[in-house]
Amino acid sequence: MNGDYSKFLQTFFEEVTEHLAVLESGLLILEQNPNDVEVLNRIFRSVHTIKGAGPMFGFTTMSRFAHEVETVLDPLRNRKFSATREIIDLLLESADCLKMLVEAAKNGTVIDESKTVRDLEARLETCMIIPAPAPGQKTTSGPSSTAPAAPPPVTSVRRTYQISWIPDEDLFQRGLNPLKLFEEIGRMGTIRSCVLATSRLPDFADLDPQRCYLSWTCTLETEYPCADIESVFEFAASPGGLTIASLPSSSSSAKPTQEADPQLAHSVIGEEDDPRLAEVFFGQRSDSLGVILVEQKAVTPAQLAKALDRQETLRAKSKDQKVETSMRVDTEKVDKLVNLVGELAITQSMLSALGARFEIEHLPILQERLLQLERNTREIQERVMGIRMLPIGTAFSRFPRLVRDLSAKMRKKIQLAISGEETELDKTVIEAIGDPLTHLVRNACDHALEPPEERVAAGKPEQGTIRLNSFHEGGKICITVEDDGRGLNRDKILAKAIKQGIITGNDTLPDDQVWALIFRPGFTTTEELTDVSGRGVGMDIVKRNVEELGGLVNIKTVTGRGTIFTLNLPLTLAIIEGMTIRVGQDKYIVPLLSILESIQPKADMVTTFIGKGEGVNIRGVFYPILRLYEVFNLQPQHKNPAEAILLILEAEGDRVVVMVDEILGQQQVVIKSIEENFRKVDGVAGATILGDGTVGLILDVRGLMKMARQEQSIAV
Amino acid sequence: MSRVILVVDDSPTMRGMVSHALNEAGFETKEAENGKDALIKLTTMEVGGTKPDVIVTDINMPEMDGIELVREIRKLSAFKHVPVLVLTTDNTDEKKEVGRAAGATGWLVKPFDSELILKVIRKVLP
Repeated sequence: MNGDYSKFLQTFFEEVTEHLAVLESGLLILEQNPNDVEVLNRIFRSVHTIKGAGPMFGFTTMSRFAHEVETVLDPLRNRKFSATREIIDLLLESADCLKMLVEAAKNGTVIDESKTVRDLEARLETCMIIPAPAPGQKTTSGPSSTAPAAPPPVTSVRRTYQISWIPDEDLFQRGLNPLKLFEEIGRMGTIRSCVLATSRLPDFADLDPQRCYLSWTCTLETEYPCADIESVFEFAASPGGLTIASLPSSSSSAKPTQEADPQLAHSVIGEEDDPRLAEVFFGQRSDSLGVILVEQKAVTPAQLAKALDRQETLRAKSKDQKVETSMRVDTEKVDKLVNLVGELAITQSMLSALGARFEIEHLPILQERLLQLERNTREIQERVMGIRMLPIGTAFSRFPRLVRDLSAKMRKKIQLAISGEETELDKTVIEAIGDPLTHLVRNACDHALEPPEERVAAGKPEQGTIRLNSFHEGGKICITVEDDGRGLNRDKILAKAIKQGIITGNDTLPDDQVWALIFRPGFTTTEELTDVSGRGVGMDIVKRNVEELGGLVNIKTVTGRGTIFTLNLPLTLAIIEGMTIRVGQDKYIVPLLSILESIQPKADMVTTFIGKGEGVNIRGVFYPILRLYEVFNLQPQHKNPAEAILLILEAEGDRVVVMVDEILGQQQVVIKSIEENFRKVDGVAGATILGDGTVGLILDVRGLMKMARQEQSIAV
Repeated sequence: MSRVILVVDDSPTMRGMVSHALNEAGFETKEAENGKDALIKLTTMEVGGTKPDVIVTDINMPEMDGIELVREIRKLSAFKHVPVLVLTTDNTDEKKEVGRAAGATGWLVKPFDSELILKVIRKVLP
């Protein structure tokens, strides 16, 4: 009976996934602020949508469960109850269960009557003082059951009925046209008389033309049973507004019935071809949900078969690929792209037209067209990249719940602060970064943050803080996981490393090399294993995952004050915006995002510090100068900084000034790894093929900075 | 010219499915995400010289819910006579009375049966 909705299944699951996220994050907000009605409304709507849409695909358990959750949320939303900790715990548990049901539906596994579901349902039902009525329990009482008992006689004899109809005043406003109704009964037989009563009309001054003050009494001679007449009016007439009386066909003196016979009205509805119609139009049989459900069930097998079919295909697909490969893209983005491709096609045809009959005086036109082509290409590239970009918030969203659960489990008070969730990065990177981040957050909860007593003793606030942040920096994205816990313990790490034979006792290692030890496979300083972390798997996985993405992990730690893990990740996978520069005869690319500014200094801005190299004074701040020709051992055009160009570059919050001969222009470059094809070259991040076919090296700003520092220390 | 139906629901899945059912039956559909969006769409439709023949709306929506939408529609001279069918999971008598009082023409229940929806729409079409 219902149409084929299987093509909406994918949309449904995507939408439900979003709703589940809303539910979970909403509940966590609610825990802090139990009376936030806006949040309650939001999560209520989410659950409500799952409940409403689920059965369309045959996911009845999911829908029934959502309904149970909803019955708990509703009184909260209407401020009949306040959300207690217990209720929120229960709701969170229910959210997990709902998630499980959705997953099961997605994979086509049947867990319909699992114990978890039933237990939770029972708990949800009893957690409120007012018991929630289940929809199925409503029985169709009275009207519908008595309907078959007193059916109006179906007869082929022409009968005469007197129909009195006093419509509600809002008849017109409900979009109903009385004329149509009379036309319809007119088709059923002969209208002998029709009297319009105007007694309800107010004074002209008070008359609202949008309201219906009229009423009608008409006599109809028809072969149809009374039920059919009533069905014409069934959604137009309010209860009591319609009276149909059977008159002896010969008699014209019969009085109209004064009151509607409710019994009759019900039986009438019972005769309607589709009894649900009465339901739709606010009829009397508002209890017949059960009936509808039964009828819905009748279509379930066919629906189910289709849904299962679809699931089977989906499951087969998901087996092949570990990561879900579809993503929702704003239609606007796609439309824009289609437009751009159209423009590209136009440019292309203009160019071929030009090329077909090219003369040298057309050169300016050619250049103009080429410029247009460049613009098109660039825009398309940006848009295509943009399609893959998602806000990192999707990767962060799991942490509030994780931290909440861990803090409860370990009896620590932990607060999670998230910022920068709107930072966009490539979908692949977002997906791959989830696990490493989870490890870091778990570690912070378990190891780094001290128990409350210890924190108080150390003069810190009882509640520990974990801070997640993400931001763009120099063409990369930085994600930091920061805690205000005890910090890494150098001695403990060293002792453990010696014990595990990673290093010998004789080595004297600088701090950052000591910190790097925690990334060694199998390394752990925890004496006892907890089920949260400390099994020595984790940090090495973090490092490996991040490096697989072309990123880096850095640790900054202060004993007793906390630790910051910084993940540096590439924003996009292969293309960067670069500035081409020249030193002597050679061209290099500097990632555009690391360039803060470029200046041509005056001679008095440059100072040589004895033993510390040279620096340039830019608006009162001294920066070390790195002469690129010295780094790469080239023959430059200028050796005097006042004649050359200085680029101020930034990475990881540090700045360095690089001296070059000339800035040639901006272009997008595709990064090719040198390391893979040759070997690691200091100060060079990769190579690219320039417009003229030659190879250009891309500068590694971070590497250059390191070199600048070394130069300074050597000079010392 | 095919009849136009405005489908108002905050769930894209629901919107899609209702529209799909209506399109299959030869109706043209327009979609809106919530009450406020629906009012904006109605205004643009009015400016463009079209009008939906029937409006099908959800109740539970952000920004402006379906009940309020019905009330607003009934205030607009251009649309006050357009039949508005509510399509919702709510099936309590109280809620229905609220809908009826607000001026809804009919009350349909989710999960919906496309045949019933079509039957009802054909019935209320002006």
